[in-house]
Amino acid sequence: MKFARHAVAALVLAAATSPVYADAKTESFVEENANEVLEALNDPTLSREERTELFSGYMEEFADFNAVSRFVIGRYANRFTPQELSRFQRAFRNYALAVYENELDAYRGEQVVVDRSIDRTANDSIVDTRIPRADGQEMNVRWRVLKRNGEYQVVDVALNVNGNLIWLAIEQQAQFLSLLDRTNGSADALIRKIEQMTREVRAGRR
Amino acid sequence: MKTAALASLALLTVTACASTQTGGDASSGVNDPFEGVNRNIYAFNEAVDKAAIEPVARGYRAAVPEPARDGVHNVLTNLRQPIVFTNSVLQGNANASGETLSRFLINSTIGVAGIFDVASTLGIEEHDEDFGQTLGVWGAEPGPFIVLPLLGPSSVRDTVGIATDRVFDPLTWTEFEDADLDDDIAVTRTVIGVIDTRSRLIEVIETLRSQPEPYVALRRNYLSQREAAVRNGQTEADPYKDLPDFDVYDDAVAQGTGVEDEQD
Repeated sequence: MKFARHAVAALVLAAATSPVYADAKTESFVEENANEVLEALNDPTLSREERTELFSGYMEEFADFNAVSRFVIGRYANRFTPQELSRFQRAFRNYALAVYENELDAYRGEQVVVDRSIDRTANDSIVDTRIPRADGQEMNVRWRVLKRNGEYQVVDVALNVNGNLIWLAIEQQAQFLSLLDRTNGSADALIRKIEQMTREVRAGRR
Repeated sequence: MKTAALASLALLTVTACASTQTGGDASSGVNDPFEGVNRNIYAFNEAVDKAAIEPVARGYRAAVPEPARDGVHNVLTNLRQPIVFTNSVLQGNANASGETLSRFLINSTIGVAGIFDVASTLGIEEHDEDFGQTLGVWGAEPGPFIVLPLLGPSSVRDTVGIATDRVFDPLTWTEFEDADLDDDIAVTRTVIGVIDTRSRLIEVIETLRSQPEPYVALRRNYLSQREAAVRNGQTEADPYKDLPDFDVYDDAVAQGTGVEDEQD
């Protein structure tokens, strides 16, 4: 009986402290902005350049490119010179926007559906969504949203592929750090590589 | 026999590649003590693939209509079902064992030697188990990441798994009156298997090659995808526990914090 009381008390305590009461505002932030982005890709009245410009504008508001671009080079964010960092951040922003425009194209015109969300802390939440694809398949996408100075911004996105959560910024960081470690931390080598990848992504665009 | 061995190595290469489509996990530490050797073998495998396997796979996709390719793929998948069944049993998964046995019986008969996947039409779920996963379910750690010549990415656990699955495969033990027929069947199955699998991975491998550090991407994806396979496609119980802190990378607070990263 004593054990049962303890177990119940532990469960109540766990429920009270469990971070499941996500801020509904975080969910609606993701839903509204993600849908806005997918809608921008599906506007037939826009030229390719206009669509890219609109898409990029939405993405700039939606995601914290400054934090992400620093994150993906980890310790090197403090080792690059201010000029190197600035050049890198510009190159990375162009690359990320080109990649996302390409990748999200498969979902253009679709509606993001929020399933649930979890607050890791008061300012750090994960929003779990589904996005149907034109081919009938559905992608489970999880958005990591940070709240700073009252503003929400996405810092990372995870794709759930057969139970394997692929966090894009974390994957990018692992590869960028490996490349930097192998080139004695050369900002130039990394920037050259990113610019080359951006050209390749744009060359393959619809 | 040499040809058979070589061909089976090639099949395993592509099979291993097939399990590298996805992945990445913030919590996965890097266990790659042989990285220098691994990178060299990876470069060798890439050269072989570009020179021999990829061109054939692209030609196969271009020349053979999709229904025919699906039929070939179904036959190969069906031939693997005894291995899947054995591992499902070893993992104590009665449901998967039953479904795998049903699939094998239905597809081998009504499905005309596995050409047609009638079982899926009937709603019987497909499973993909191997002895590497079985060892994982039993609690064995993957051990160091290794890239095998021609076989591709693996781990110590998965390498043991590959060898053991050969033992579980009835075709390994089947003997025909004509001794050459054994080899012929093994070689044909292997060569077709390589082409079939590689043709299904054209886009995946293109994406991998477009990464800034394909080797690192492959290693992370392989290891985390294999862990997800051991969990039968379920996410980790607490998938967010090891997520990194982004705030330290914010301009306002990052200066002079001596930020260090946890990733490889």
